[in-house]
This record gives sequence, structure tokens and C-alpha cells, in this order.
Amino acid sequence: MKAKAIKIGWSVLYFVAGMLLLLGMWDMVSKITKGEIPSPLATWDTFKEVMTNPFQNDPDYKGIGTKLISSLARVGIGFGLGSLIAIPLGFVLGSNRIIMNIFNPIVQILRPVSPLAWFPLGLAIFQDSPKASIFMIFICSLWPTLINTSFGVSQIPQDHKNVGKAFGFSLWKYITKIMIPYSLPHIFTGLRLSIGVAWMVIVAGEMLSGGIGLGYFVWEEGFNGGSIGKILVAILIIGTVGLLLDKFFTGLQKRFTYAV
Amino acid sequence: MNSTTKIATQTIVDSILEPVLTPAPAIGINNVTVSFKTPKGTYTAVKEISLTVQKGEIISLIGHSGCGKSTLMGTISGMVKPTTGEVIANGKKVMGPGPDRGIVFQNYSLLPWLTVYRNIYEAVDSALKDLSKSEKRELVERNLKTVHLWDHKDKLPGQLSGGMKQRVAIARAFAINPSILLLDEPFGALDALTKSNMHVELLKLWNLDNREKTIVMVTHDIEEAIFLSDRVVVMNNGPEATIKEIVPVPLERPRNKKEIVHDPVYMSTHDKLLNLLIDKFSIDDIKE
Repeated sequence: MKAKAIKIGWSVLYFVAGMLLLLGMWDMVSKITKGEIPSPLATWDTFKEVMTNPFQNDPDYKGIGTKLISSLARVGIGFGLGSLIAIPLGFVLGSNRIIMNIFNPIVQILRPVSPLAWFPLGLAIFQDSPKASIFMIFICSLWPTLINTSFGVSQIPQDHKNVGKAFGFSLWKYITKIMIPYSLPHIFTGLRLSIGVAWMVIVAGEMLSGGIGLGYFVWEEGFNGGSIGKILVAILIIGTVGLLLDKFFTGLQKRFTYAV
Repeated sequence: MNSTTKIATQTIVDSILEPVLTPAPAIGINNVTVSFKTPKGTYTAVKEISLTVQKGEIISLIGHSGCGKSTLMGTISGMVKPTTGEVIANGKKVMGPGPDRGIVFQNYSLLPWLTVYRNIYEAVDSALKDLSKSEKRELVERNLKTVHLWDHKDKLPGQLSGGMKQRVAIARAFAINPSILLLDEPFGALDALTKSNMHVELLKLWNLDNREKTIVMVTHDIEEAIFLSDRVVVMNNGPEATIKEIVPVPLERPRNKKEIVHDPVYMSTHDKLLNLLIDKFSIDDIKE
């Protein structure tokens, strides 16, 4: 108990040290550029300004909180749909060598494609930029989850399979009591990588599509509005949210890993 | 009564009595060969093996590593398909694993995400589909209590010691109440003290069941084989392993672990098995 408290104490200390280093470097850059890049303190003022009424949701102006939520919602829908297809497909690919061999080249060709390349295709199909960004997120969420799930399933130890055989597990029992529990940590690794890509891509997508989300905020209010402070605020918010999403899935992954 | 009717009556009596007096064997291995395809060609693990095991008998398969004893056992459990020949278990040809044959695996093979209780329950639930939920629960409880693990029922396998895991595996195999129990080097990973206790536990379970279960065990431990078995099957080294000799163990049951080692029969059996398994006993032997 005490050892754990000390461990947490140290990691907090390291975090604070890292943050101070970042702020120090940031302040230095700000001084060198003579305030062209706003200092941490100036950015804090911008942050407070941005955060006054963050959930404003008027037809002509939306607060940063509203924009963040709309970005998250699009990521959630695209990522959710992608996972809904990638996980079961991963189960099938992982359990069957032949299907795996057929699908593998498809995955290998499509996986390295920049998600942004799918955006115009989505736009052409849906004629609607929010739907096109969801489509883009959907596509890029597929690959890491699909690859990790199928890897997990293909790695199920013979010992576990033998238990199922020896005691006559039904297919359903095999899936729910052996296949899913074994591959769960791999699935969460896939989901974690997927959400990371999705979160990175949504901002870029929204810059392309315009009008919606955090990406639009960076572009329109930050760059076009001539406020580098706002760009920095957005970067910090995007980074923090990304970190939290990652931590969430790392936690799940650890929770469902079992000692033999 | 004339002599013809007498003979006829005798034949009828025999035909009724015969199956009772000489019951069908629990396991019949008939001329079994197992070959595997490898990149280097066909590898024959065991060749033309025949062996009969009576109901209620405990036999050990012993031999050096890689002599095909686990493979031979696999043909009884149904995990391994014979290339030629057949295995009959409880009067039926073995086509695959079945609930009439319980298996205790070499490395316990518990599912690490299920509690001790669930590990046994899921096996019972699958193997004995016709039982009601409460009957299944009752069965799990009774078997966990027999191996003294009821207090640990909510633990995950990762929280147990090797000996406890092995007891869970044994309880799981007994819970489905198979008439044949197959143990694949069940105590190989345990320390000597735990191992000794487990031997006694196993025989206790077998006694509780009126010594009706047929047990086939793979081992490379001579003492273990003698203490537990009625017959020890010594196998030749593979590939193409065959049975070298079947050594009977004519020791009275119940056997006492402490006293048995001083029994002349034990010592001569031990010597015989040692000679069958090892042909070099000193450095001088190796020089020649």
C-alpha cells in the first residue's frame, strides 16, 4: 500500500517536471520570437477567453466545448461502426487460415492509405461533409482493430482449445469462454490504436470539410482569425483528449489481461 | 437329463455368465499406428500398438521423452487420430473426445479468466448437458470440496499454487464423472512433497468411486508409476515406438507410501523398470 503511494507520488512528480520543462521551452520560444508565438501566460488568457461560455450553440457561432463534442461524436460514430465490423471480422480471420490468406492482401493494400484520401470519396458518396468525415473515421478505425483481433484469435494456445475439445464445448461456449476472453487484450490494443488514429484524423478532416468541429476551430478562428493563441489552445485540448482516450483503452487492456 | 441338453444348458449359462465374469475391457487399443506429416517427411510416433485395459484398472505409460506415450494416450482421449488401427473405449470406437473420458492435462490447462468454480462449472455444463442447473452446481461443489478447494472457489487460476491448480484440474476431470480418466504427466511440474500428497489424493478419489474408474496415466517417474498402477507399460524410444514390456505391480491395495518402499516386491519391480528404462548406470558403462 505504502509502496504504491510512493510509486504514484513519483509518477506525479515526473509529470510535473515534464510539464515545467515544456512550459519553460515554450516560454523561451515565445521570447525568441518576441511574442509572435504567445507565451504560456498569454495563452492561458486566450484559454480563459475561449472557455467563457464554451457550450454556446447558436446557429452563427458555436463554443469550443460544443465543437469538441461534435468532433468526439463523429469519432465515436465512425469508430463504433468500424469496430462493430472489425472485431467480428477479426474473429473470423483469426480462426480461419484460408479466409485470412484471402483477406490479408486487401488489408495490406488499404491499410497504408492516408485516411484523408478516403474523405473525397466519402464526400462523393454522401454529398455531406459531416457524413464524409464519419466515413473517413470508419475506414481508418478498421485496420488496427481488425489486425490485432485476428492476431489475438490466431494465437489462442492449443491448451485452451484442448479444454474446449475435451469437455465438448459448444461453438457458442468456445467463442464466449475461450476465444473472446483470450483475445480481449488484443482487441483493446487494436481499439486503442484505432481511436488514436481516428482522433488524429478527425482534426485534419474537419479542416478539409470546414464548418464543424475542433479542426474548423483551429483553421477558422486560429489561422484565419490570426490568433496563434487559439491554435495553441486547440492543440493542448486535442492532445489532452487524445491522452485520455488512450489511457482509457490502456486501462481496459490491463484489466482483461490474465496471469496463467 | 440327457447329455445333449446338459451341454446346451451349459452353453446358455456360459453365454449369460461370460460377459459378467469376463467383462468387456474399458479400453482396447487395436494395432494403432500414428504418423504425422512433417516438412521432413512422415514421422511415425507409435507403431502397431495393441493394449487392453480392464475396467477399474490403473495403468501407467512410461518411457523416455518423445517416446510417443502422450501420443498413444491422445488416441484414447480422441485428441489424436490413429493413422491405422482403432481404439475402443467403453465398447465404442473412439472418434473424438467425449465426456466418458476425462482428461487431466500436463500443464493443468485451466482457463485463466474463469474462477476455480467457473472452470469446473463450464466443463460440467458442457459435458453433462442433461443435468439441471442445481444438479450441476451440486456436482461442482462436491468435487471442489473433495479436493479441499471450496474456500478458494472464487480465485482465478493465476492466484493458485501449482499443486492447487492441479487439484482443480483433477476435480474438473472427476466432476464430469467419466468412466475413464486420462492423466498426461499430471504431477510432472510439482515438487516432491506436493506430488506425494497428490498421489494419495488421487487414490482417495478413485476409492471413493468404488475403484470403478479406469485410469491411464503418462509419466516418466518410476516410483509414481509403481505406487499408483496395477500394470506399468514400458515403451521403447521413438520414432516408431512400440511397447517394450508390460510390468505387473502385484502389490496389495491400499498401499502405504512409507511402507511400500521396503516391500521386496516393490524393490524388484523398481529394479526391473529401471533396467528396462536405463541401460547405463555409471560412467564406466558409458566408456564401453
